[in-house]
Amino acid sequence: MTKLWIAVLAAWLGLAGIAGGHHSVAVNFDSTKPINLTGRITELEFRNPHSRITLVVTQPDGSLKEWLIEWSDRNALVRRKIPFELLRVGDMVTINASPHRRLDYLAYFRTAVLPDKSVLRDCGFGAFREAIANGETVECEPGRSR
Amino acid sequence: MRAGPVAVMNVAFAAFALTMLAAATAGAQGRRAELNGVWILADTPTIEMTLTPAGEAARAAYNYLTDDPGMQCIPATITRVMHTPSPPIEVRLRDTEVEINYEFMDVRRRVPMAPGLAPAKAPPAVAKWPHLGRSAAHWDGDVLVIETVDHRAGVLDTLGAPGLAQSVQMRTEERFIPAGNRMRVVVTHYDPVYYAQPLVVTFRYLKLPDGEILPWDCTPEKANYVQFPERGK
Repeated sequence: MTKLWIAVLAAWLGLAGIAGGHHSVAVNFDSTKPINLTGRITELEFRNPHSRITLVVTQPDGSLKEWLIEWSDRNALVRRKIPFELLRVGDMVTINASPHRRLDYLAYFRTAVLPDKSVLRDCGFGAFREAIANGETVECEPGRSR
Repeated sequence: MRAGPVAVMNVAFAAFALTMLAAATAGAQGRRAELNGVWILADTPTIEMTLTPAGEAARAAYNYLTDDPGMQCIPATITRVMHTPSPPIEVRLRDTEVEINYEFMDVRRRVPMAPGLAPAKAPPAVAKWPHLGRSAAHWDGDVLVIETVDHRAGVLDTLGAPGLAQSVQMRTEERFIPAGNRMRVVVTHYDPVYYAQPLVVTFRYLKLPDGEILPWDCTPEKANYVQFPERGK
């Protein structure tokens, strides 16, 4: 028998969410090795339990590769007032993301440089929670929140 | 006939005791009302567990791709529902029931508040998902206590501690402890089949000002993350 005290998913703190009901963002995505992906958005799904951006990226050899960019659940994005509608299918964007630790062409959203060069950011669930604890207003994108 | 000093003191003491009792009751009622509201997890829940060999074996055999009801948009247990960090829960105290709405998986729970009611005699607390058990609520001072039985055997948790199991013998006690704009929920699972000691999960919550429960609208084809590794190849 094992006696365990678990601080469940320690890296869960401050992260945007939990993926798929079976794994955590921190467990599966490496936030210490962010990557930039420039490509065209071919699909957007803002939904629960997780949102997803499909991005077609031109490889160095000229071939095209489809990346899946996972993101928080839609309800959480709404609560954090993230103006995710600024992302549009067909747009060329540069997404900064945390790559999956084991799977290729899968990453977790951090920021996006939009066609007008402005940056879409997500302050994350940790910042949201901290603001609530401090009695502050939650606004991840001041001036252009939803 | 005049009352003696002892009788006067007795009456005074009784009046004082009644006053104190009334004040304590009013205080408890006030604290109880603090539970009303929408709550989000304040930090990482903690789990204390001592598995039996059967519990160890069940956990070792767990495969999230095939064993996680969440992949089919089915909440495994209330504990599993509460483990999801971002979707809030809502507590509404009624005269004859406690209403708890969980945003995750759109769980709508109704727990009767009837003195002496055995949970086994209560209807399923979540009409849509009877496997989440039968519950009855009562007060222990200003602490709301919900007892649940008639759980379906299977997976207890798939997120905080993936692969924890539960048997039909399991009995659960949840204690909702108010503290102003904070709330602590201590969930104790008693299941001798899989746990040598009660499994205790402690959730700490923050009240979400003007919070509301939004539709979750989970659909299996979107929740099934098998497609992630498949497409990621």
